[in-house]
Amino acid sequence: MRLTQRKKLLIYKVVLFVFAFVIAFMPSTATRNREVNRRVIVDIVGIDSSDMGVELSAQYVMPTETDGATSKDKITVKAKTVQEAAELLNTALGRRAELGHCSMVILGDGVLPKHISDLITATDITADVYLAAAKEKASELVGSITEFMKKTGATDADFIAYGAKKSHIATNTLLGFLSDIGSKSETAFAPLVEMIEEEGSSSGGGSSGGGSSGESGGGSSGSQSGGGGGSSSSGGSGGSGETGMKVEKLALYGKNGRVGILDSTAARGVAWVSSPEGNGVISSGEFTGRIIKKKSSIEVDGKNKSATVKVKASIDTHSMYEEENEEVDLEKKFESEIKKELKSGYDDALSYGRDPMFILREMYRYAPDAAEHSSIDDIDVKFFVEVTVK
Amino acid sequence: MNNSEQTSTLSADTSKEVKQTTSKQLIAVIFILALATKMFLQPLFLVKAAGRDAYIALAIDGGFDIIVLIVTLIAMKLSPDRDFFELTRCVFGKVGSRIIVCIFGLYLFFKLNVAVSETVSFYSKNILTDLDTTLLLLILLIFLVGVALHSLRALTRLNEILTPVIVTCLAVLIAIVVATGFDLSNIFPSLRNPHEFGVALSRHMTWLGDFSPLLLFLGRTEMKKSTVPLCVVSGTLGSAISVFFSVVMCAAFGNVTSLVDASTNLSSILQYSLGNVYGRIDLVAEILWSVASFIQNALFFYCVVRCFEYVIGKPLHLVTSLGVGALLFTSLSVAFSDPSILSLLIVNEITSALVASFSLAVPVLALISAVIARKKEGGEKSGQSGGNKNAIRSTE
Repeated sequence: MRLTQRKKLLIYKVVLFVFAFVIAFMPSTATRNREVNRRVIVDIVGIDSSDMGVELSAQYVMPTETDGATSKDKITVKAKTVQEAAELLNTALGRRAELGHCSMVILGDGVLPKHISDLITATDITADVYLAAAKEKASELVGSITEFMKKTGATDADFIAYGAKKSHIATNTLLGFLSDIGSKSETAFAPLVEMIEEEGSSSGGGSSGGGSSGESGGGSSGSQSGGGGGSSSSGGSGGSGETGMKVEKLALYGKNGRVGILDSTAARGVAWVSSPEGNGVISSGEFTGRIIKKKSSIEVDGKNKSATVKVKASIDTHSMYEEENEEVDLEKKFESEIKKELKSGYDDALSYGRDPMFILREMYRYAPDAAEHSSIDDIDVKFFVEVTVK
Repeated sequence: MNNSEQTSTLSADTSKEVKQTTSKQLIAVIFILALATKMFLQPLFLVKAAGRDAYIALAIDGGFDIIVLIVTLIAMKLSPDRDFFELTRCVFGKVGSRIIVCIFGLYLFFKLNVAVSETVSFYSKNILTDLDTTLLLLILLIFLVGVALHSLRALTRLNEILTPVIVTCLAVLIAIVVATGFDLSNIFPSLRNPHEFGVALSRHMTWLGDFSPLLLFLGRTEMKKSTVPLCVVSGTLGSAISVFFSVVMCAAFGNVTSLVDASTNLSSILQYSLGNVYGRIDLVAEILWSVASFIQNALFFYCVVRCFEYVIGKPLHLVTSLGVGALLFTSLSVAFSDPSILSLLIVNEITSALVASFSLAVPVLALISAVIARKKEGGEKSGQSGGNKNAIRSTE
């Protein structure tokens, strides 16, 4: 008996419905809650070098069966390699640490680029994660940020993303950092995150990280846990005295790790060239304006081994200085301020032998023979700034 | 049933499939074949071997494939009614035809292995990381066997439905690349190590021949005046899109080729210059886009099954599909047991040369067959008309 087209269609529909029903109510779907409860979501990872090898700190969120009930805490583990440390996180927390959801990686002062590339190749951390630098130990900064977030009720560690979108700060991602280090300039940077201390408060408090080895294999948050030197600590450095975070400086890296820190003026100079967004505020004396548009380019001349860094910016002063405008040339004032920042960024980095504006990289791209055996010191760099005040 | 009866049954079955595909469906199939698996393993291998010049190698491969496509389309134009099997039978006889189809089937089976392994690797390492590779392979095989039980019309109609979704996803991904202001200038300087580039190019030609399944469309497709130029445009556009995404990958990994591995995908690198501030719409788009690879796998599987059926001489769709499925499962189980086996097998000069030769030789053969068959047909017609004249004369 041949089935009619309509009957065939009906059979297909029934089969599809049964298939959808089975998928929706299959055992793994029905027990999804338990699956979630077997995992820990890692929001921030801090990495330090230690006498043992590496020290990995994680700010994690522990999902529980109760709706909306989660606990945020920090844990630190020590191991010989990054991969081993990532495995220890699982043991220490007694659950699978989901590193794929990590939104920020904090670099301690002794971290090597090799550790950072291991984060991509040996863990689930994605290449587009934002990088931040701690002045000293990343584990301490992770602890302080955790405390601050708990205190304020903040759920996402997206302040670097905010910096990228709204502030005049140069940011970097994991892959961007490694690509920069691998470029001809052999230079990379990460914004330095510092905690704002309340005036008059001491910077003491429970130090986090390192610590004693956990006795039991796997434990709960807030207590000693895990094998391999894992410790879970709710204390940051001077947690109670910290009222916020500031991201003004830039940590500078070469192939062998961190080489120095650029102050806020130099960091702003780098941001004019190396930051993808044009936002934030600029001040020159008593005059202030909001950067509404920014465009930068580097023109290289391989023959003469020279480069011109060009910056064009539109600044909105909200007509605050209309009266003074006749007497004061605001555009010239802002231009000279930007030039000062650019020069500061270039000169300070040059004192460390680094090139965060990637001038040498640009020369290698368009005049490779000239750049092949040159260093950043060999290139004569000029700055050209053009400002439009609106 | 004797052999001649079996062949006639197959011919009858084949004749049922005549004009199964419209001109529009052919254009959509060509677009999908041009880019489906081009973004999985080939660019990664190329980036590792040729660094930031990988996209140039991919563009050269794409150019070669377009030549193959043009030859195939001319053959299709010259043979609007006879399919590939009939053509070879007409020119080389029954035995010669079966030998040729058998070799073509084996070549397609190898290509099928490469395409399926890429698809499974992509899904198991990027999207369904918790799912066992064997289980994933089995699920895919069920789909492939199911497709092979149906006609070419069913497959091309499925592709026609999915193509707009895939095109939309590609548009989203391209928009993200443009919006994030990707540092595309990192692909410069080009060709600093010409020798290294040459070696990389000669070792990575196994991915050529993505248009080979189109030979099964011969004589079964409605060919309009505009079909050939539109098909060439479609293929060129598909190749250009895959080269564009390779450029993005080269720009991201040009300085750090050691970081590239099988889990590297377009999504994870798209936003590296600006971070994940745009959310993960790219991931959704990429998953939907990768659906195109299933169509490509299905087309290769369908062609292998039909070729082997022709060689056997029996239209046993279910048995042949299950047999090819079992063979594929066995070969890929061995390949997945040690990933280095697969990469060693597909990335070398000999395999590359063989695949490149086959991918060009088979459509050229189809073209020559089409010309000879046309001449024969012309001769027969003129003979017939001469015979008719004589008959008229004798009547007179």
